[in-house]
Amino acid sequence: MTTNPATTIRHSLEPIGDESFILNLGPQHPGTHGVLRIIVKMDGEYVLDADPVLGYGHRMQEKIAENMTYSQMLPYMARMDYLAALSYNQAWVCAVEKLCEYEVPDRAEYIRIITVELNRISSHLLWYGAFLLDLGAFTPFLQAFADREKILDLLESVTGSRLTYCYYRFGGVFQDITDSFLCNVMDYIKYLRERLPSYHDLVSGNVIFQHRTSGIGAITCSDAAEYGVTGPILRGTGISYDVRRNEPYSIYQRFHFEVPTGETGGCQARYTVRMQEIEQSLNIIEQAVTTIPDGPIKSKVPKIIKAPEGEVAMAVETPRGELVVYIVSRGGKTPYRVKFRVPSFSNLSIFQKLARGKLLQDVLGILGSLDLVIPEIDR
Amino acid sequence: MVIEILLTILLIVVVFSVIMLHVAYATYFERKVIGHMQVRMGPMRVGPHGLLQPIADGIKLFFKEDVFPETADKPTFYAAPIICLVAALTSIAVIPFWEGMAISDINIGLLFILAMSSLAGWGVVLAGWASNSKYAFLGGLRASAQIISYEIAMGLSIVGVMMMAGSLNMSEIVKAQAQSPFGIYAIPQVLGFFVFLVAMLAETNRTPFDMPECESELVAGYCTEYAGFRFALFFLGEYVGMIVMASVGTICFLGGWTGPFEVPFFPIIWFMLKVYFLIFFFYWVRATLPRYRYDQIMALGWKVLIPLALGNVILTGIMKTFVWH
Amino acid sequence: MEERGTAMGTGSTLPPIIHIAQLEKILNLARANSLWPLTFGLACCAIEMMSAAGPRFDLDRFGAGVFRATPRQADVMIVAGTVTRKMAPAVVRLYDQMPAPKWVIAMGNCAISGGPFKLGYNYSVVEGVDNLIPVDVYVPGCPPRPEALIEAFIKLQENLTGTRRFPESPEATTETA
Repeated sequence: MTTNPATTIRHSLEPIGDESFILNLGPQHPGTHGVLRIIVKMDGEYVLDADPVLGYGHRMQEKIAENMTYSQMLPYMARMDYLAALSYNQAWVCAVEKLCEYEVPDRAEYIRIITVELNRISSHLLWYGAFLLDLGAFTPFLQAFADREKILDLLESVTGSRLTYCYYRFGGVFQDITDSFLCNVMDYIKYLRERLPSYHDLVSGNVIFQHRTSGIGAITCSDAAEYGVTGPILRGTGISYDVRRNEPYSIYQRFHFEVPTGETGGCQARYTVRMQEIEQSLNIIEQAVTTIPDGPIKSKVPKIIKAPEGEVAMAVETPRGELVVYIVSRGGKTPYRVKFRVPSFSNLSIFQKLARGKLLQDVLGILGSLDLVIPEIDR
Repeated sequence: MVIEILLTILLIVVVFSVIMLHVAYATYFERKVIGHMQVRMGPMRVGPHGLLQPIADGIKLFFKEDVFPETADKPTFYAAPIICLVAALTSIAVIPFWEGMAISDINIGLLFILAMSSLAGWGVVLAGWASNSKYAFLGGLRASAQIISYEIAMGLSIVGVMMMAGSLNMSEIVKAQAQSPFGIYAIPQVLGFFVFLVAMLAETNRTPFDMPECESELVAGYCTEYAGFRFALFFLGEYVGMIVMASVGTICFLGGWTGPFEVPFFPIIWFMLKVYFLIFFFYWVRATLPRYRYDQIMALGWKVLIPLALGNVILTGIMKTFVWH
Repeated sequence: MEERGTAMGTGSTLPPIIHIAQLEKILNLARANSLWPLTFGLACCAIEMMSAAGPRFDLDRFGAGVFRATPRQADVMIVAGTVTRKMAPAVVRLYDQMPAPKWVIAMGNCAISGGPFKLGYNYSVVEGVDNLIPVDVYVPGCPPRPEALIEAFIKLQENLTGTRRFPESPEATTETA
């Protein structure tokens, strides 16, 4: 009878002596946001070591990609990171377009930008709620959800789904948007801009919140670069690296937006960066809505895509960080090999270093501020 | 003699039922109040506007399977929730609801209540210990440290009231408030009232001091391993504790049963309104604030509240000797 | 749906020796109106479960809003998301830790049958959580809308009490030939 990996403790932790004990933040735990298991070695309330155990959400995405055609893989992309499904859609679609050299009409690019930035705002709103739920306040969670439902309404009117979108196609998007959608988006931008100060009133100025987050979980720029963290965590340390700015894809060069950075690299810096990113996304959407051209929404591509032989690597900026889709094609209808470099995997790698020596409550706060989506890590 | 005993027993039964009804509906109102603060409605479908929800919860919890972890310490495991509930309920005996109406109007009423709230803390610690599970253990440890620290702060905050009233008897304290502005001690004892409000949140393990039970970290803290009716006993004990603390706050700082005008046939109305206001304050704070960290709670209790309360005692002493007579 | 004793919940320790019909009616009514779910979100469906508890679709209206994190205090386990073979022992253990009477809602296509991951070369996904634990209500969708989850609760309540809280829509009741 083989040992069950789910129930044995890995031997990488030193043997227990003295007074420390092992606490299993099991795969089902309100603080781990999904099926992440952390084996924590503790001395009283202080964490000596925290070992994440992955694999509880492994759904063979890369193997599926080898057996599905390029079009059939689209729905699976949304299930990898369900909070940023449109970013993943965009990564796959842009990667194949790059490989096969398809043109994308302007209107389709604008639609893609509007929807993907709306998705980014909804992901950050959900993170805001979940992070504060970790810290113990559960009212911001519901307020964030109320605002997020409005975005979901907007996206549902265009794409048909609430969460796992499959809206982009190779060469464009699936169906056109209406003028009423654009009006609703402008209304929503106004509405959210008026709501954001109330978010800051409730949370950012709160003394308890500041005690719980300032000075906690700080990482240095060199640490961030060594561990390969990307996204708001990297920008929280002060390094201004955003794939939309540094390696622009789609039509991001046409929009003016700032890349917010923090200073300390701690939980509070990441919080501030994400809240400012919401505002920057609103700016981008506003510019896109006011300058969207008319035209076709999809260029002509063959029904069954046979990609030419070659490799392509496409990087996009998801709300969590940099996602790279790497496709190796040997001709044929299905790719030969697909590799996803997901941001949450690298972001999790710094968690073990951050957790040492901290109180358990801080460790869970740090985990919340890293904004991980576990099925993305496990693919 | 026998008639007196029978009357007392009848009184106990009546007060007990009223308090239990209040506790059941306190849980209902918590869900409603917090729901409305969170842009949603609470229970709506179970009876008109959800009014039968606590009854459904109670019946369901009562008839659940009695789960008992194999490695737990049986007698302690069973005793812990009972201790919590009994300690909280016993404190009700000394609270005067209106003039001359208390089950037992003893001369050391306040001291008795402070003693009983420590016993409730002991129940929590026992629960954490007896469950023999790491989460429960951590919850129990945190509870013990927190309750001990805030006991001192709460006791000191009431010392000012005791000094002004000159007695530990709850009825005397209410009567002595007649000489203060507006008939309440909250104004001369502002510091004491503030310290009491914070300490009362910590004594009843409510947010922002709900570390022993914090749901997002310790799964359910000290009551992780309790199922069904034993969990309901903890729940009830917590809410009875809330009512007791709100009553103590009302009596010591808000003037007890006195009010701006007399309401015939219903002398308890002012007491009830003030207690309801303090309970609403509990819910309001829970809906708004995040949770403090363990060492921050200790720091707050020892380094902020106790000096404030001591300062209040000194100030009251000075004022009483030189200014008031 | 086959007889599985849904009214008394799956996993009851022993069937009652004496049946007092009136008492059981009241008990089932109470249990139906106070179903406390276990927070068991695995993947995408977890977000829709959270939305169902959120302000727009408020599950608390039906008495089911108290999400407990410990299985000992929960009545309903909503398996929301894909169950992998590594996660399977944890699912079974959590189910066993829940006290009777308990129910299971399989939410989403992955929990019903493996969903989009039910493929020939599948090596990691458990094709349907009912291979592990008995399921009472299946909620299809990928992910199902929060209204579908609320309908699952209403169906569960209907199974328990015998009467349905809201009338079914006429389209649902007419069978197409």
